[in-house]
Amino acid sequence: MMEYDYLKHKKILITDDEADLLEMVTSILEQDGFKAIKTAGTVSEALHLCKEWKPDLAILDVMLPDGNGFSLFEQMRTFTEAPVLFLTARGEDEDKLTGLGLGADDYMVKPFLPKELSLRIGIILRRCYKGENPIVQLSGSQIDFDRAEVIKESARFPLTAKEHDILQALYRNAGRIVTIDQLCEAAWGENPYGYENSLMAHIRRIREKIEENPSKPVSLITVKGLGYKLVLAGK
Amino acid sequence: MKDITKLIRRFVSILLLSMILVIVLNIIILVVISASQMSNASPYTTARETAEALQETEAGYVLSGDMTERLRRENAWAIYMDNNTLEVKWHTENLPETIPLRYTASDIARFTRGYIDGYPTYTGEAENGLVVVGYPKDRFWKHMSPSWDYDFIKNAPYTLLAVIGMNVFLIFLIYMIANSKLLKSVKPITNGIQALPSGEPVYVREKGLLSGLAAKINQTSDILQRQKRNLQRKETARANWISGVSHDIRTPLSMVMGYAGQIEDNESLPESERKKAGIIRQQSMKMKNLINDLNLASKLEYNMQPIHPKPVNLVAAARQSVVDFINLGMEEKYPIEWDTDEALTACVINGDKELLKRAIGNLITNSQTHNPDGCRISVRARKSDTEYQIIVEDNGIGVTDEKLEELRTAPHYMMSDSGTAGPRHGLGLLIVGQIVSAHKGTVSFDHGKQGGFSAVLSFPVPSDDHIQ
Repeated sequence: MMEYDYLKHKKILITDDEADLLEMVTSILEQDGFKAIKTAGTVSEALHLCKEWKPDLAILDVMLPDGNGFSLFEQMRTFTEAPVLFLTARGEDEDKLTGLGLGADDYMVKPFLPKELSLRIGIILRRCYKGENPIVQLSGSQIDFDRAEVIKESARFPLTAKEHDILQALYRNAGRIVTIDQLCEAAWGENPYGYENSLMAHIRRIREKIEENPSKPVSLITVKGLGYKLVLAGK
Repeated sequence: MKDITKLIRRFVSILLLSMILVIVLNIIILVVISASQMSNASPYTTARETAEALQETEAGYVLSGDMTERLRRENAWAIYMDNNTLEVKWHTENLPETIPLRYTASDIARFTRGYIDGYPTYTGEAENGLVVVGYPKDRFWKHMSPSWDYDFIKNAPYTLLAVIGMNVFLIFLIYMIANSKLLKSVKPITNGIQALPSGEPVYVREKGLLSGLAAKINQTSDILQRQKRNLQRKETARANWISGVSHDIRTPLSMVMGYAGQIEDNESLPESERKKAGIIRQQSMKMKNLINDLNLASKLEYNMQPIHPKPVNLVAAARQSVVDFINLGMEEKYPIEWDTDEALTACVINGDKELLKRAIGNLITNSQTHNPDGCRISVRARKSDTEYQIIVEDNGIGVTDEKLEELRTAPHYMMSDSGTAGPRHGLGLLIVGQIVSAHKGTVSFDHGKQGGFSAVLSFPVPSDDHIQ
C-alpha cells in the first residue's frame, strides 16, 4: 500500500449515533494510517462538518437520532461530491439497494472486520481520486488507464475500449479471481451469454500487449473454467 | 361449473328414467288388475258354455251338473228360447219372476246389448235356439252403444303416443323451469364454495332461495380471511422480531469483532494474546453469520424476502460462488474444483441471483465447516432436457445414514412444533432448501461418490417464453 500514501492524508468523516463505535472506527482508521478523522453523532452535526471541514470521504450510519443517513446523503449531495460509504446495522437487501441506488460508493453491514473496512475505504479513495492515480505496475509492463495505454519496454500500445473495460475489472479485483461472467458483463453489459469465445480472443490480445511472453503469462493468469486473475508487480 | 353440468345431466336422466318407469308400471298394473278380473271367466264365455252344456233329452232340456253348479255360484240365472217361437223352453230354477217367458225380436236386440229388467244379460248360441244368462243387477255394467269412428280407432295408437309424448314434454318443461330457477340460485353458491379454498375473499349475494347458504359462505370467507390476517400478523411479528434482534445485535458485535481484529493485528502484543483475539474474532464471525442466516431463513419462511426474478445464469452463479470461496484464500486446506463441461456456458432460469449464489455458497461452506481437517470440494453444473443441476460434493468425512435420513425428513427446529430438542441441522442447509424451493427447484442430499457428502440442486428448465 506504500504507493497510496498520499491517500492517507484524505479527510474522513465518520457518522454514527454510538460513541463507542465512532471511537472504534476512528482507531481502526488511525491504525491504518489515516490522519485527518472527525466524527459526528447527528445529522445536523454531520452537515455542519461537511460544509465547514469539507471531508474527502464520509462514512454514514443509516439510523441517526435526528434523521436518517439516506436523507443526510441526499442533502450532502447538494453541495459536495465527496464519496460516501454507508456503514449500518440495516442489512436488508432493500436497504443496500436504496443506499447504492442513491449513488453511494459502497455499503457495509455491521458487524464488519476492521480489515475489510480499511480495504474498502482504500478502494473508494483510489477510484475517486484516480486523477492522482499512479500507473499500474505489472511484472513486464505498466498500464496507464487514464490514457488507455500499455507501456512495455518504452513502447506504447493503445488499449481498445473492450480491453480497457476488461483490464479495469481485473484491476479493481487485483490478486483475486474474476469470473468469466463478470468480465463479459464488464465488457458487454448485463446478461451476456455466448461471449466466452470473444472474451478469450480479447484476453489473448491483452496478453500480447502486457506480457513479456504471451504464451507464458505471469500477470494475467487463467483459472481454468472459472475466470482470470491480474497479478500486480511484486505481489 | 363442471359439477353443475354433471348435476343437470344426472337430474335429467333420472327424470327420463322415472317417467319411463311410471308408464311401464301403469301398464303392468292395468294388465294385472284386468287379468285378475277376467280370471273367473268372462260372462260371454259363460253364456257360450252354458249353451253348449244344454242338452235336449226326451224329458226336455237338461243342463249339466257342472254348469248348473257354476251358475249357482255366480248367482246367475239362464233361459233357453226356441228360434221359431221365441218362447222360453227351459230356464234355471232361480229365474226371477219378473223375467218374461216370451220375447220379440226387438226384445232380443235390446237384451243382447244390455239388460233384461235391469239384469245384465249375455247370450250364447245353442242348437235351434238362444241361451241367455242373466247376472245379478250389481254384477256387471254394460256399455250399451260400443261404436266408434273408424278413423278414431285406426289412429288410436298415434293419438295415444302423441298424448303420452305431450305429457312427458309438459312434465319436462315444468321440471326445467323449476330447476333452472333453483340452479340459478345454486350457481353463485357453488362458485363461492369453489372459490373458498383459493384463500381470496369470497362474497355471494344473499338473495333468492338459498340466501341462508350464501350467508354461511360469506361468514366462512370472513372467518378464513380473519384467520389468514391473524396468522400473517403473527408471522410478520415473528419475522420482525427476529429481524429486530439481529439488527440490535449488530452494533455490539461490531465492537467485539472490530477490537478483536485490531488486537489480533497488533504486532506489539505477544503471539499467544493475538491468537486468543483471533479466536474471538472468528467466533464473532460465526455469530454474525448465524444472525444473518436466522434473519434470512425467517424471512424466506414467511415470504417476507422479496424475490426479484430476473434471468439468471446458474452456471455463472455457481462459478461466482466457487471464485468467491477461492478468493477467501482457503484453497490449501479446501482445494475446490470447477468440474463443469466447458461447452455448458448458460443455464438460464428466472430467479434471484444473490439468493442462488447464497444457496451454492452455503453448500460450499457446509462442506468446509463439517471437515475441519480439510477436504476437496467439487462444484459441477449439468444440464438435461428437463433439468438444470448444480452439484456440490466433497470427499470429506461424509454423513451417517441416520444423519442423512434426518436431513431428508426431519423438519428444522424453526419449522417444527415439537420443541427445539431432537434432531436438527444447521440453518445453512435449511436456507438452501428454502431458496431452491422459492425457485421451484428441489434439493437432494446423498453420500458423495468419493465418500463425502453430496448435494444436488435441480431446477426445471423453463420454457423459452418464460425468460424475459
